[in-house]
Amino acid sequence: MDLKVFTQSVLQHQSRLFRVAKLFLKNTEEAEDTVQEIFLKLWDKRQQLGAYNSVEALAVQMTKNLCLDKLKSHDYNYTSTGLETIEVNANTYTPHEQTELADSNDLLKKIIDDLPELQKTILHLRDVEEYSFEEIEQITGQTINNIRVILSRARKSVRDSYLKTNNYVSGN
Amino acid sequence: MYQEIEKLLEKYYEGETTLQEEKYIKEFFSKAEVPTHLQHHIAEFAYYRHAAKETPSKNLNEVLLSKIEKKGRIIQFRTVSLRIAAGLALLIGGFAVGYAYNNRGGEITIIESKPETVMKQSLQFEQVSLKSASERIEAVNQSLKLKALDQDLTQLLINTLNFDDNVNVRLAAAQALARFEDEPLVREGLIQSLKIQTDPNIQITLIELLVMMKEKRASQTLEQLSQDGNVMDVVRMKAQEGAAQLITL
Repeated sequence: MDLKVFTQSVLQHQSRLFRVAKLFLKNTEEAEDTVQEIFLKLWDKRQQLGAYNSVEALAVQMTKNLCLDKLKSHDYNYTSTGLETIEVNANTYTPHEQTELADSNDLLKKIIDDLPELQKTILHLRDVEEYSFEEIEQITGQTINNIRVILSRARKSVRDSYLKTNNYVSGN
Repeated sequence: MYQEIEKLLEKYYEGETTLQEEKYIKEFFSKAEVPTHLQHHIAEFAYYRHAAKETPSKNLNEVLLSKIEKKGRIIQFRTVSLRIAAGLALLIGGFAVGYAYNNRGGEITIIESKPETVMKQSLQFEQVSLKSASERIEAVNQSLKLKALDQDLTQLLINTLNFDDNVNVRLAAAQALARFEDEPLVREGLIQSLKIQTDPNIQITLIELLVMMKEKRASQTLEQLSQDGNVMDVVRMKAQEGAAQLITL
């Protein structure tokens, strides 16, 4: 596998890997560093990559594992990047609604962060990255039935937590 | 009217929707006209759509590529330096082997450079039977490396000349001794040898050598030889000729 093929088959997933890394590490720089580490690891084993069904699934799995390792290590003490400007389609919402949505984005981010690891991973892979159940199966090693159960639990949990915090929305 | 989306939402929360259906749901909640009773779902799906747009800083790709290239270069450099190191190792190894070999060879040369030793080893009476004729000739020829013969070696060569079984070895000894014609012992040895030699080749060689050395003391031996009935005619003629030459000197 030369650099060109590697770029096409592996580097194109960098945004996804970055989001997965950030999901766990909550820090943009650290997530970027992690993605680079993953790519260098993949580059080192580029000769064996052909043996994998999906290099993308492998990369996501490696990213997730590396992040969890980093979180486990005692000296990991990165603070989250904090509030970020949120792009919302300005044509659809009034400024007030945009602010409200930005607030809800932060809230949802926090709610998802607080989910158990597996729920968080599967919810992110499905609802943000839009992976198929087969792909999620490859990445997490869970059976598809399990994935559906965990996903359902995660989605309900997010919905309920959000409603609970934003009680007024449902009251509207 | 909204039964479809409500049903889909129900499926969604059970983890039963397809990707297609989930896309439809996200699409639905991104529009402005979401019915009031469903508006509390907007934020969720807006968040997922928003989160999916998050990308690393644009230079990540460049950084990655440059890191990979750098790594490639390092690996290349590593292999190049490895090759150089291996080459050097071979070179040094070669020199070491050569040096060791030369040293060993040097010891052999030292042994060989002592012709006396070789000669004694090969020509001494008790050794003669163990060495081949060519080895003995080789040993005799070691004397070519010497500038002078000591008494032992002279005697050794004379013995070889007189008693070696092989004519060629005896001839070689005669030639070797002739180089040291200034040595009285050599001259004496050659004269005495002529008296006892029976091979015509040796006899003729000795006669020629003695004449060449202008060894007058040999004239008597030559005359005796020329009158010896057991000696070949050609040798007798040569002896007579030599005797005449020596007398006229």
